[in-house]
Amino acid sequence: MDKKLPDNMLRAALARNDPAAVELIWDRYAGDLFAYLLVVLCSRHDAEDVLQTVFVRIVQKRHRLAKAHRMDAYVYRIARNEAFRFIGRRKKGRTIEAVTESWLIVPEGKPEPNDLAEQLQAALVSLPQPQREVIVMKIYRQKTFLEISGLLGLSQNTVASRYRYGMEKLRTLLENLTL
Amino acid sequence: MNEKDTQNEQIEHFMRKAHLHKPSPELKKRITAEAAKAWNQTSPELSWQVPVRRLLVSAAAAVFVIWLTNCSSDYAVARWRSGGLEIAHQQSLDPDALPEIPYNPLVRHLVSTSRKPSITEASALRSYAERMLLILDEAQQNGASKPPTPAEGRSYLLPTQSGHDSYS
Repeated sequence: MDKKLPDNMLRAALARNDPAAVELIWDRYAGDLFAYLLVVLCSRHDAEDVLQTVFVRIVQKRHRLAKAHRMDAYVYRIARNEAFRFIGRRKKGRTIEAVTESWLIVPEGKPEPNDLAEQLQAALVSLPQPQREVIVMKIYRQKTFLEISGLLGLSQNTVASRYRYGMEKLRTLLENLTL
Repeated sequence: MNEKDTQNEQIEHFMRKAHLHKPSPELKKRITAEAAKAWNQTSPELSWQVPVRRLLVSAAAAVFVIWLTNCSSDYAVARWRSGGLEIAHQQSLDPDALPEIPYNPLVRHLVSTSRKPSITEASALRSYAERMLLILDEAQQNGASKPPTPAEGRSYLLPTQSGHDSYS
């Protein structure tokens, strides 16, 4: 999230009922929310669709957002609820979930970028979702355990243990690649 | 422990070779347009609307619960009205016909109490009417100069029941 943009500025725009707040919400939360939805849904296309629903929900609940003690946690809660609602609908629609879509990218110039991205993605997908979201928030969004615990509404110990167990699994899965 | 930390750092470093997709400018355009549309469609929620809405919902829920309770009790009573209650009431009035049950003396006492003559019984009404006539006759004979005082502080208009001081 864009730390430079203070909460007060966004709260003031929401209090004024100023539509420009949509841009502020985007600048502040879109990157993190998109990453979170990518990790939970494991599909770029689905993450884009759900992100749109999340933003509409945020706008509809903007008055509650303005009064929320932690705006970031409130926004994450909306994203989480929408993601799980989407997963529920997806499970009804398809019996076998085929995750073939790439949502992790490796910059050009690295050796065999596609293979690396695929293997990393496969390793992350094989993790349980709670461990996956903590690892991705920590590694790809540079969040601390304290920040993650605040965003997900968990204790810091729970977040740390999820990270530890997830990393242990990743170590075995990625052993051949790292060595 | 140190070895594990080092391995974790290696994996983190390795994973950072890749990165997640970022939301594209086209996606931003699409989503902000949708959000702006939603912004215009939803009216600003005034602060007093929330408690009023909650109150209305609570009242509606209470009315529904009361209605549901009434319906269920009517349904339960309807089963007994179809003859079962009458038979049960008649049977319970005969203390000798009662089977051996706990607290038998108490049950017998309750049954005998329920047999007390009430004001609606024919004999009580007849005695009440006779008393009234007697009072009226006495009043006519005495020239109705002064109204008769009730004996022992009781009203003549109220019939008395034998052996009981009250109707309760």
